[in-house]
Amino acid sequence: MTRYVRRAVRLLRTLSDLGPGPTAAVVALLVVAALMPSGLAVALGLLVNAVESSAGTQGSGPAGVSAAAMLPLVGFAAVYLLGYFAESLVGPLEYLAVSRVDRAHRARVAQMVAEAPTLDLVEDADTQRMIREVEADPRMGFDRTPGQGALGQVRALAGLVGVLCAAAVLAVHAWWLPLVVLAPATLNRFLRNQQAVVITRHWQAAMSGEMHADVWRRATVDAGAGKETRVLGLAQWMTDRMQRHIREANTPLWRYVNRLVLDEWSQLLLVVVGLAPALLLVTLAAADGSGSLAVQATVLSAGTAVFQLLGSSGAAHRIAGGDAVLTTTAKLAERLRPTDGGGHGPRVPGRGLTASALSGAMPVVTFERVSFRYPGTERLVLDSLDLTVGGGENLALVGLNGSGKSTLVKLLCGLYRPTAGRILVDGTDLADLDPGAWRSRLAVIFQDFVHYPLSLADNVTLGHGTPDEALGRAVSQTGIARVVDRLPDGWRTPLSRSRDGGVDLSGGQWQQVALTRAWLAVERGARLLVLDEPTAHLDVRTEAETYERLAGLRGTTGSLLITHRLATVRSADRIVLLEHGAIVESGDHDALMRLDGRYAEMFRAQAQRFENDLSGSRGGTE
Amino acid sequence: MRYIRLWLSLMRLSFRGAPVLTAVTLAVSVLDVFVVAGYAIAARHLVDTTVTGPASVAGLVALGVAVAFALTMVTRDMLFNLVGTVADRVGRLELNPRLHVAIAGIDGLEHLERQEYLDRVTVLRGAAGSLMRGCWGVVATVCGIGKLVVTVSLLGSVSPWMLALLAFAFAPILADARGQAAVARAEVRSAEDYRLQQDLFDLQVRPASGKELRLYGNGDRVARAQAEAWDHAVSQRVRARLAAGAWRFAGWAVFTLAFTGALALVVRQVEAGAGTIGQLVLTVTIAATLQQSAQAVVTTATDTAGVRRYVEPYLWLQDYVAEQRQEPAGTTPMPSRLDAGVAVEGVTYTYPGTTTPAVRHVDATFPAGTVTAIVGEYGSGKSTLVKLLCRFYRPGAGRVTVDGQDIAGIAMAGYRQGIAATFQDFGRFAVDYRTGVAVGDLPAFDDDDRVGSAIEAADAAGVVAALPDGVRTQLGKDLGGVELSEGQWQRTALARSSMRDAPVILVLDEPTASLDALSEQVVFERYASRSRRLASQNGAVTVIVSHRFSTVSTADQILVMHDGEIVERGTHTELIRLGGRYAEMFELQARGYENKEKKK
Repeated sequence: MTRYVRRAVRLLRTLSDLGPGPTAAVVALLVVAALMPSGLAVALGLLVNAVESSAGTQGSGPAGVSAAAMLPLVGFAAVYLLGYFAESLVGPLEYLAVSRVDRAHRARVAQMVAEAPTLDLVEDADTQRMIREVEADPRMGFDRTPGQGALGQVRALAGLVGVLCAAAVLAVHAWWLPLVVLAPATLNRFLRNQQAVVITRHWQAAMSGEMHADVWRRATVDAGAGKETRVLGLAQWMTDRMQRHIREANTPLWRYVNRLVLDEWSQLLLVVVGLAPALLLVTLAAADGSGSLAVQATVLSAGTAVFQLLGSSGAAHRIAGGDAVLTTTAKLAERLRPTDGGGHGPRVPGRGLTASALSGAMPVVTFERVSFRYPGTERLVLDSLDLTVGGGENLALVGLNGSGKSTLVKLLCGLYRPTAGRILVDGTDLADLDPGAWRSRLAVIFQDFVHYPLSLADNVTLGHGTPDEALGRAVSQTGIARVVDRLPDGWRTPLSRSRDGGVDLSGGQWQQVALTRAWLAVERGARLLVLDEPTAHLDVRTEAETYERLAGLRGTTGSLLITHRLATVRSADRIVLLEHGAIVESGDHDALMRLDGRYAEMFRAQAQRFENDLSGSRGGTE
Repeated sequence: MRYIRLWLSLMRLSFRGAPVLTAVTLAVSVLDVFVVAGYAIAARHLVDTTVTGPASVAGLVALGVAVAFALTMVTRDMLFNLVGTVADRVGRLELNPRLHVAIAGIDGLEHLERQEYLDRVTVLRGAAGSLMRGCWGVVATVCGIGKLVVTVSLLGSVSPWMLALLAFAFAPILADARGQAAVARAEVRSAEDYRLQQDLFDLQVRPASGKELRLYGNGDRVARAQAEAWDHAVSQRVRARLAAGAWRFAGWAVFTLAFTGALALVVRQVEAGAGTIGQLVLTVTIAATLQQSAQAVVTTATDTAGVRRYVEPYLWLQDYVAEQRQEPAGTTPMPSRLDAGVAVEGVTYTYPGTTTPAVRHVDATFPAGTVTAIVGEYGSGKSTLVKLLCRFYRPGAGRVTVDGQDIAGIAMAGYRQGIAATFQDFGRFAVDYRTGVAVGDLPAFDDDDRVGSAIEAADAAGVVAALPDGVRTQLGKDLGGVELSEGQWQRTALARSSMRDAPVILVLDEPTASLDALSEQVVFERYASRSRRLASQNGAVTVIVSHRFSTVSTADQILVMHDGEIVERGTHTELIRLGGRYAEMFELQARGYENKEKKK
């Protein structure tokens, strides 16, 4: 019982996102709708009573109806009109209420994720599954959201008010009558509620299989993957694969629903058990003259109302679903709670340093014997790595695919916490710095930078407010103007095919957008620029221009460049080579070439074919 | 009319996929109409027998009324479960695969590249359940109308005048239809905003985008943009629903007033001794029943209104697929070896919805057994040319031939079977590593040797060795697997394209953009030897698109594209000697590798 109360309270609390006015309106309308059956029962009783007593006499009121019958008749119409009014209005209001509650819920989920202390918590498979469960977006056609749960709960409670009222109507005729009807009705409701809970559990269990199915759902409509799937003739194969996941994931749920349908006899029995004795009693009483037809009609009407009002299975499912979402949300919050763990002391936001004290200066980041492994894995990606970045130096980081370069960047940004060792920013442990203040000093292009489905202007400026002269300078630094010229609506063009008038850019054009984004951050005071493979898709000319401008930053902004195009790192102040989780070579290009180690090998591999050509002969092996 | 055909075809699909469940659901839907009427009749009987006696009969009828009412509860609950599950099952198991095969089976790419088409297929990809629910919503609406008609007709037994109420019963039905149409329009209108907020929400909670949002501290802004889009969508939808509510109320108010008049008629009749109180109870019971089923109809109708958002794309897809099928399909087999090679003859192609041709009047030959490299700045048309070779588009003018034969005349499946390709925006399939490679040649899916050598060819053996469960490792972090780096993904895609053992056309679109220097060299060499092997084996032609001049300089011929045209062509040496666009770009890149003292 307390469980039900606690569940109800938690769901109802989400209504605070709706505000008092709309909440009151929804509640009032639902209560009015729930009181309608009792009102009808009373009106019917009065009407039968009036008609019974005046039977055989010609009516004297208007339309030939007796004056006694007139009032219940008008009451009847009024109850109906009121009921229809409530029902008509409650639909839209409920929709609004659900939307508002879910909107706030989604914002909370997003906030939780945003405030998670490190990124690995967010990346975790369980976290992502939970997020999918609580995202409260009925995109697969399910209505399992806190808003639905809360409104289902309000409906159920309003129904309860209606039930009490109907019970009171019954009690007027005999005090024990409500008990006879309510007991089986309550049991019936309880059984259906349990079913709703089990169904919700099956739905949750299907989540992971559905995520596997999603791989192919997405592939079907992805233009890039679409080229491959067409050449490979995968249409049927990948659909079969998707279907296998869907079937496996949902079979338990479907089996259970089969059982539910067969189980309906129990409901039949309980309703008959609840209604038959009461009806029998009033019928026999009316037949032998100790009761009346009016009582019989009232009891019939009020008794059936009790069963109907105790809530449809619909409300029960909504409540169970909403409750499950809130439970998972609480677990998710616990998981992502922004307190420190793993042996680090509690973080004091902004301790020692503030953003303003830092701006303008070029930060020096020192990795001190830093090790890192992804949670749940064995392999150390970084192993006692020592490295100093920044301070105006033009640093290049090279290494083979999968050597941990991108991981190193994420550590530098404070997105992961080292498994061992520490990272210092100007002598202060990064773990003690306010992440926001630290990140405002960075301008980073990740390899998988974000493609915002917003306008080009928003894509460039999102982090930093509206366009201004800093943007103008940033624009002049990249070739973005050429991209803008090709867009139908210039800066305002949405960069997403699914938007009205939107277009998608090519890989190279997107890289120019990202470069402009980073350049703008530099114009606004970031003093360490981190570029992870920023030009892989740029054409030769644009790439060359980009590196020329990058070189121009020397002395005012530190930079860390990650790339496989070794010609572009040649002019770096220093090149470091990452291998087996540590820095194994360090020095400028000439020094590393003299060292004749891995870097030299890599450089020669790329230079070889050019060299052949530069010496004038035709390259190749023919 | 199309709607009726659509709902009928979905119902047929439901019967085919879940015959028992569908039949039971339909039966219960129809039963529900009569159960409701039966309850009303039983209630009248109860009152009448109570008056006329004997008491024992009245008692039995009372029991009957209880059973009849219990049946209304049972059918209602059963319908709730049955309709939900049958729509869900048939949607997921029958309609969903058909939708996906239809979308993925379209030969061209236009539906994935044009905004208005992509929009529709994106909506459809998860719409199967909703469409089926829409179909059942129509059944529910029809049954609801049936209920209205049957119950009001019952009143005819009280007085033939009551049948006039039938006319008034259309007031709520028509008013509701009108309101729901408005709701449906609002759903369609607000679909873009709604999807935008979905995308923006995803950006906030997915880790890949999450890191950048944290870094730039723009999570708030994205959240705000999301909230704006959400509000914009919801306010339109609420307004439409309010309007629909007003219509609904108006319709029912008209009906209620008429009904009350009819009730007064019955009261008068009873008071005059011409009718029974049972008739009065019947009338009131029917009124109550109508109100409940009206609620039910409205709830389902609201669902159905949401569904209309999916109907238009679904009908479009049907048309689009039909239209594609009408185009003459090729029948000739793809040659298994090339003698002459591939030729592009005066080909022009303009992307639909644009005015400038992406390639214009392009003539080029790709002689059997040769390697051709295509270079150019982006937007120069080189990717489009490659896509034309893969038959993703039909040339607007000119033709592409294989051994002199127009490729449009070659059966598509066979043609594509003859291609091995890797693209710049390759697929990243979050499956186990082996599957991700083995799909490169479905007939050889179970051939471990072939998978192994494909992995070898892409220099991906090292990637596999580092995976916790080797080739069985699940990829994709959010599926509990391992996340690959960009270069590792690219090598996986390369391995996939190495699966086919006898292609006659090899397409490599920026094959090594994300590879490290050593890998690039290994992959380059292995692909070069594969090209040579296939060239001598079956005269295969290789086409490489690249920004990396190191990877193109050894090609037998190089095509330089600019603004959709081929502006230079020849071997590397010839083009360098020409001193044009190619020489300039090559110099620019080569300078970085010059083997001399570091420049100032």
